[in-house]
Order: sequence, then structure tokens, then C-alpha cells
Amino acid sequence: MKDFRLYDIADFVIDEDFIRWVHEQREEDNQFWNAWLQQHPEKHLVIASARRIVESIQFQPAAINELDVEREVGRLLKTISTQQNEPPPATAKLFVFKWWHAAAVLLLCLTGASYFYFRNTGARPYAYKSMVESKQLIEHTNTSQNPLVLTLPDGSRITLASKSRVSYAHTFGSGDTAKNGATRDVYLLGEAFFEVTKNPHRPFRVFANEIVTKVLGTSFTVRSFEKDTTIQVTVRTGKVSVYAQAVTKVAARMNEIILTPNQQLVYERMGHTFQKVLLSNPAVIGPAVSERSLAYDEAPLERIFTDLSKVYGINIVFDSEVMKKCTVTADLTNEPFYRKLDLICGAIDAHYEVIDGQVVIESSGCR
Amino acid sequence: MLNNDTQLEALWLQRLQQNDEQALAAIMRKYYTSLYNYGSRFTSDEGLVKDCIQEVFISLWQRRENAATILSPRYYLLRAVKNKVLKSLHQHKIRSGTVPLEDEYDFLQEFSVEKLIIDKQMSEEQATTLRKTMAQLPKRQHELVYLKFYQHLDHAQIAGLMNLSRQSVYNLLHETIQKLRSLWQAELIPDPPAR
Repeated sequence: MKDFRLYDIADFVIDEDFIRWVHEQREEDNQFWNAWLQQHPEKHLVIASARRIVESIQFQPAAINELDVEREVGRLLKTISTQQNEPPPATAKLFVFKWWHAAAVLLLCLTGASYFYFRNTGARPYAYKSMVESKQLIEHTNTSQNPLVLTLPDGSRITLASKSRVSYAHTFGSGDTAKNGATRDVYLLGEAFFEVTKNPHRPFRVFANEIVTKVLGTSFTVRSFEKDTTIQVTVRTGKVSVYAQAVTKVAARMNEIILTPNQQLVYERMGHTFQKVLLSNPAVIGPAVSERSLAYDEAPLERIFTDLSKVYGINIVFDSEVMKKCTVTADLTNEPFYRKLDLICGAIDAHYEVIDGQVVIESSGCR
Repeated sequence: MLNNDTQLEALWLQRLQQNDEQALAAIMRKYYTSLYNYGSRFTSDEGLVKDCIQEVFISLWQRRENAATILSPRYYLLRAVKNKVLKSLHQHKIRSGTVPLEDEYDFLQEFSVEKLIIDKQMSEEQATTLRKTMAQLPKRQHELVYLKFYQHLDHAQIAGLMNLSRQSVYNLLHETIQKLRSLWQAELIPDPPAR
């Protein structure tokens, strides 16, 4: 028996059982993996990433149809019968097999679909539908395959991904806060990138199923499709706070999570757990800093870490007392974030770990 | 269903051994698309691929008394088709005067991204990046990924088909997956707005 707890993303991607689950969605596999995820909720992110990779590997189908195949089968039978002088036999019997296959496939699709259908229509108090139905809202649905850019009355922009929808009140963004509420509320089903105009008096809130993301002015992504098992909030610039709507114990513990640039919150819907992670390829925030050179000559480590923190908006924790004698000479301008960390840590014989969305440096200092 | 499939195949092979042509036809129907798809990776000459597949099945028929010893028809047939296609390409080249090393061959692979854009809410931009990354993979890695994720062969079978050790199959696969992984993690819907 394989011990999936020890698997990392790549191990899952090349595991035959895992691939079968993603490719064929068999009911017994669904049951196994859902049960396994319930026992190991911390693996949701790994599984989701591995799934996306497997799904992304798709091949051009063969340029050949059933008729061509039958023609080739006929050709083969003719060749071997002339070799033996036997009459070509009838083919009726074989269609039995084919129909059997078709029926099995259809059945699988139906059970799969009904599984999702029934799972999703269960009473979910914070599902998009139940949040939206009692209110009079303007709704936009993106049925196209391209992202749809919407501009809200307050000037904020929403880039709505395909198969996603948002709604907001028709009084959204109008000046009278007493009458129209002190917040700017948007309801989301699916995935969208938000660029919010600054207004400290009227927080902008995105309700995505069980999760609320609150901001003053910033840009970030929320991904919350109804059938996804996780909700993901990713911050591009600024700061956002995220909290759960559900009043379960675990969700209450979550209170408000503050996310800074290049951090992502993954909320696992079944177990109401959440995880704060750093993006694996953090983006430089703001074009102004990206132009700044990160070339150092015998520079104190503290200065380098302070620069990096600013450029990526990521907190770097280290003991400045222990590391005050450390200096580094390197040109880090064009390296990706983690490569930069590798180079620095390699130079001073230190290690780093990513804990709770920040980088923690471990070192015994330099002489 | 896996068991049913394996049992059905065993039954076909058994009946093939007993001179049942319909069993041969059933095997061909089941694998034709896969074999044709694989054969077309080595050449764009459709007629040549079809002829090679015919020859593979004719020789399977001629050796039908040993059919029951075939453990995995898929692996057996893929291997036979690959050898046949590469061999006849080699002969063509000898006739036309250019003789390449027998070990060297093209592996043409078009990864499909259209379905991803529609099914997985992937943007055109992401799809283009994905296609580019896939296109940059060396040919051997293409074939490996193809045999793994399209033909669903196990590592031992891939090793046999590509003349590699099982460890190199594993290492190469890991390397390929890491490339795709970094691509996916860098992906994060739109780029920051231009200011």
C-alpha cells in the first residue's frame, strides 16, 4: 500500500492511481480521494496543484475516425483470409462489446454529474445563491471564454474569469453612506481579479461562499467556484483581510486573517480549515521598485533583506544580532525570489523556511 | 472495469490462439486509435503508419499460437508499431541516400490546449505559455510524457519502449513535472495593471 502522506506534488502527478482519478473520475476513486482528503486536510493544496498539472497535460487526439478504423479492420481480415482462403466472417457479435462500453461510460458520467449536483444543492447557508436571492442586485455573468472586465460605479475594476458571476446592489458606490450602507459589497461565484479604488470610509467586501475578503484599496484575486473544495484569495498589491462567514468553531478561530502581497490564503471548505502560503514565484510589487538594482558589494545582510522585503512585500524574519557580521556580494537583480534566497543562504551557509506566509532565516552567524 | 478489461483481453488472446479472426479484429478495434496516434508521432506519412499497423497485426496473426504469452497487448502493440515505423523510415532514408543513426528519431507532439481553455477556465495567455513550455521539452521527454499520460503505460513498460532504465524514466518524469509545476505556480490570473 502506498503511503500518500509522504507524496509531494510531483509524486502525485506521476502516480497511476492519482492520474486515473483525475482522468476518469470513477466513483470509487472519488470516494477514496475525498475520504483521504478528509483525513489529511492539510494536503488539499498539494492535491489541487497536482490535479491542475495532470489536467494541463492534454494531447491532440488522433486524426482518425471510427470509419477509418473499420476500413483498416476490413483490410486486415481480408489479408489474413486470402492467406488462408477463408471467407470473411460476420461482425455482428462484436458490436455487443461496443455497446457495453458505451453504456458503462454513460452511467459513469451520470453518477458523476448527480454526485456534484446533489452535493452542491445541499443546504449551504453561505452559497452564492442563498446570499443573492433575498437582495435586489445587478448581476453580471461571464459565459464567454475570455475574461470580462467590468467597471463598478465607484471606479473599481473587476476582471471576471470565464464561467463566473458577480452581483452588487444598484445603489453600489453612491455617495450617501447613511442610506446605502457603509460598505461596498460584491458577491462572487467563480474567479475574479479585483482592482479596488481607495476609499478608507467605505471598505470593499467580496463575499465568496463562506469567505469574506475586506479591503480598503488594493488588487487581489478570489477563486471560489461552487464545486471547488477550496477558496483561494491571492494578494497582488496592498493588504486585505479575510474572514469566514460560517459560525462553526474552527471558522470562528480564523477571525480575521491579514494577507499582504504575494501571500495566498487557501480555505478548505469541507473541514473549515485554512492555510496561509507564499506564492512559489512571488512577483515584484510596483514597477518603481523593480527598476531598482539589487547588485551588492560586501553589503550587510540586513540591508539586503530589508530591500527584498520591500521589493516583494514579503516579511523576512532573521536575527540581526546573530547575523550582523554577515555580508554578501552578489547581483540579485534578475533572479526569481526563491533563487535570490538560495544564493544568499548559500553564501552565508544559512537555511530558510517559509512559515505562515513569511520567510524565516536560520543561521549561526558569520565571522 | 480495469479487471474486466484485462479479463476481456485475456479472453481475446485465448480465442486468437484458437484461430478466431474476430478476436484479432476486436483487438485491432480497441487499440487502433492509440497505435495510429503513436505511429503518427514519428512521421507525418499517414499511409506509412497505416501500413505498418497492418503488418504488425498480420504478424500477430501469424504468431497466434504464442498469443497467450502476451501480458499487455497495449505494450506489445505499441512496441511493435514503433519498431516497424522507425525501421521503414530508416529504409526509406537509406534508399534516398541520407542515413541517420538508427537511435535518432523525431517525436512530433502537439499538445492540445483548446480543451483546457474551455473546460478549465484557463486564459488564452496561460494556454500559450503552457504550450510554449511543452514545446520546449526535449523530444525524449515529450515521448515520455506522452507514453505516461496518453498511453497510460507503467514505468517498466516506458523504460522498455524507450531503452531507458526505470530510474531514468522516473528521473526524467520528475524533471518534466517540476517544469510544469513552476509554470502553474507562476500563473496567477492577470498581470498587475500597468501604471
